[in-house]
Amino acid sequence: MLTKRIIPLFLLKEGRIYKGERFKNFIDVGDPTSQGMIYDAQGADEIIIVDIEASKKKKIINSRIINSMITKCRLPIAAGGGIRDVKSAKECFSAGADKIIVNTHAILNPWLVKEMAREFGSQSVVVSIDVKKSGSNYDVYIYSGTRKIEVKLKDLIKKFIDCGAGEIIITCIDKEGTMSGFDCNLYSWLRKLVSVPLIASGGAGSYDHIVDLFKESDCDACAIGKMLFLRDYDIVRIKSYIKGKDVTVREA
Amino acid sequence: MKIGIVNYSIGNIGSVYSAFRFFGLDVRFVQAPQELENIDVIVLAGVGNFITAVRRLKALKMWDKIDKEVIVKKKPIIGICLGMQLFADLSYEGGRTKGFGWIKGEVVKMDSKDLRIPHIGWNRVNTSGKGIFNGIQSNYFYFMHSYHFIPKNKNLICGVTDYGDLKIVSAVRKDNIIGVQFHPEKSQSGGLRLLKNIIEEINC
Repeated sequence: MLTKRIIPLFLLKEGRIYKGERFKNFIDVGDPTSQGMIYDAQGADEIIIVDIEASKKKKIINSRIINSMITKCRLPIAAGGGIRDVKSAKECFSAGADKIIVNTHAILNPWLVKEMAREFGSQSVVVSIDVKKSGSNYDVYIYSGTRKIEVKLKDLIKKFIDCGAGEIIITCIDKEGTMSGFDCNLYSWLRKLVSVPLIASGGAGSYDHIVDLFKESDCDACAIGKMLFLRDYDIVRIKSYIKGKDVTVREA
Repeated sequence: MKIGIVNYSIGNIGSVYSAFRFFGLDVRFVQAPQELENIDVIVLAGVGNFITAVRRLKALKMWDKIDKEVIVKKKPIIGICLGMQLFADLSYEGGRTKGFGWIKGEVVKMDSKDLRIPHIGWNRVNTSGKGIFNGIQSNYFYFMHSYHFIPKNKNLICGVTDYGDLKIVSAVRKDNIIGVQFHPEKSQSGGLRLLKNIIEEINC
């Protein structure tokens, strides 16, 4: 049986991992390669690494960092940040990424996803969308939460799946870095729309937050950040706890 | 013993390289047919599209050479993910395309209305616990694929994975030809042990 994935999320700025709250107030929490080795040893199921300044600075995520991580870690790495075309995606793959993550540029031009799925296969193309609650709806943001874009989340997701997106990550900006629990209503609603694997991000702060997410929404994976970097949790203990609550996980 | 990873795809072959390097093995990338002659074990790794892979191998003039090395010279070959699928007679990914045909059978799209496709994540491989799976404690390996290989001769199957109502063939072996659908190079200690087992089996 396929297991639920616990994925450390590395937000990258100038080669270091940063954690913030609602995409603001960032603090340095470490070096990506050494942190990667730690979570690999603890049995993390994957690592997501995203350069949060790349799109704004018109750059792409540093391939040296990806390369350093893949030579030291034996787990899948999904990398993103500034990927705008097949060429920049290729650069990430040749550096060693197993999957690429597209956000801003794919939202501006969803056909990009189709082109990438054709070139690299759906299983390697992950689409990431940042959303903020607004009344009973969710607004979509690009450029790391700095610009709102007028598009319906539901339509956007449908389009990405039609274009061949292999996985969808939805980050709830209101929850990001708050450690106040996932927005389970959002993910339960999304689950019905998303026929590919769905990854939840934003809000993990305790064991039960993760249990609740998996039980309520049946997401395939969750990304966790601050809880790992700035609190006394590790992957081994998280998995052992949630397994005790009947969530199917793999213990290393 | 020299291991040659065929450098034909955009897929991540750096991880495969570093996994073999972990055991201090002599491993290199090969992208020209004559380079295959000095190689003792061929590795076909990579993810991507079946038809693109076939075209690239042919464009590099590697296709016929690999076939000869494996069938005539009986050189061991390890296929990972798409690499294993290339062993088949044909695949429907990107249009009906012929594979090497070393192991009879077809590569088809995973089809089940209740399942999330692609199949991505860690899943259990049911094995006899012997041969290439000897001594592996956790049989969870990392998968990422939308198509799967259905070999005709079930005796060649040495690993099966349940995904919903689908039975996915996750490992095959026919003499010098060994293939896995998952990514051992991405599967932490179990994956490393598997690669070590394969190399030891080949050496015997």
